[in-house]
Amino acid sequence: MAVTAARLAVRRGTFWLEVDELFADASGTALVGPNGAGKTTVLLALQGLLPHAGSVARPGRCAGVFAQPAFLRGSPRWNLATVLRSTLGMDERTADRGAAAALRLVGLEEATHGDARKLSSGERQRLALARALVLEPEALFLDEPFANVDAHGRCMLREVVNDYVARSGCTLVLATQTLADVAALCDHVVLLDRGRVVESLGAARLAESAQPYLRALVSEGGPGLMPGRTRPNLRLMPGEGLEP
Amino acid sequence: MLQIASLSVGVSLAATLVAAVFALGGALWIVYGRSRLRYVLLVIFNAGLGLPPVAVGLAVAFTFWRSGPLGMLDILYTPAAMMLAQTIIVTPLFGSLAVIALRAVDPTLRDQLAALGVPARTRLRLLARETAPGILASALAGFGRAVAEVGAAQMTGGNIEGQTRVLTTATMLAVGRGEFSVAFGYVAVLLGIMTIATGAAFVLQRRWQ
Repeated sequence: MAVTAARLAVRRGTFWLEVDELFADASGTALVGPNGAGKTTVLLALQGLLPHAGSVARPGRCAGVFAQPAFLRGSPRWNLATVLRSTLGMDERTADRGAAAALRLVGLEEATHGDARKLSSGERQRLALARALVLEPEALFLDEPFANVDAHGRCMLREVVNDYVARSGCTLVLATQTLADVAALCDHVVLLDRGRVVESLGAARLAESAQPYLRALVSEGGPGLMPGRTRPNLRLMPGEGLEP
Repeated sequence: MLQIASLSVGVSLAATLVAAVFALGGALWIVYGRSRLRYVLLVIFNAGLGLPPVAVGLAVAFTFWRSGPLGMLDILYTPAAMMLAQTIIVTPLFGSLAVIALRAVDPTLRDQLAALGVPARTRLRLLARETAPGILASALAGFGRAVAEVGAAQMTGGNIEGQTRVLTTATMLAVGRGEFSVAFGYVAVLLGIMTIATGAAFVLQRRWQ
């Protein structure tokens, strides 16, 4: 099921967001734009986490990853298992197995113990992604999910997300500042600025845009990363699926 | 001695429990409420940190004096009056520290749990678990203040032997009589109570970590 918004209006302090129309499905929609453009606000409103005017339709089972993820006091494995038990009503043993598999999936198999809140920022982002994916959502909202992850980890996580979306048909909405994320995960791009949609276009046509921000995005990413040319290999190694 | 110590613990524990209702309710309102009036309560909590116990004792004694506004209740010089005074003393400290404990939890955690589809009731339970160590420390600080104060206990309890004599007022009396060995005994018991309470809180906090 797709995520749609119509005449979405949100007020956060002095900031106003107004989006006439927004559509996202499994082909992936990237929200891009300068700092303060309203990307996070759109994501929060789409998830129903902000009071808003207008209508939003989303699937029943959604999961969101915040730019600065927060965790419960406890180990990474316990955090994942707790969410599985709380949201999906899993029994303890099944939840624990699912949590262990999800940690392996994002390269955190070593970090099963200790306090999740004390992981490095990149590890916390890996864990946040695992926490969202382990729920097998029908819609995934990612807010700059790889910003602090190392280069190898970013490639690996993009592949994990891509595989999950391709396998499940999950709707993907991604806020990002990176062309590589757009190229790997999204077919559509929505440019936001000061709370308004400035341009909405196919990712393959990014280079044709006259918008200065999009030109900067493409120019910084380099032509080799242009969407449609270097879509990464979606294949995962055997045994790396979400299933325990 | 046992009777005095148990009355000390009983009155202070009861005062801390009653204060918990007001302090936690107020702290939750201050941290999660939307009304601007909540800042007034925060100021009251913070101002109350320096509230002199004798001032509270005086106010309670005046209120429940035989000819006072609530004299007909006839609770002055009873453990109930001592508990009331200690509740007033403990609530601002407990509330103020509880606000700090609640604010120490990542403010986005509630939304992040909601974004993962965690049901509202479970979210509350998980957030309560996050704040439990801080709240426990607040309660311990409140209990410590209650059990150690002497001014309000003296004024509202009257230090009546077998009825309202607690460790602090008994210590004062012993020093007044020059019975220092007895006074040291009371203080040792007082310190023992606080040590046990702190130790128990430490064990609980370790278990929650």
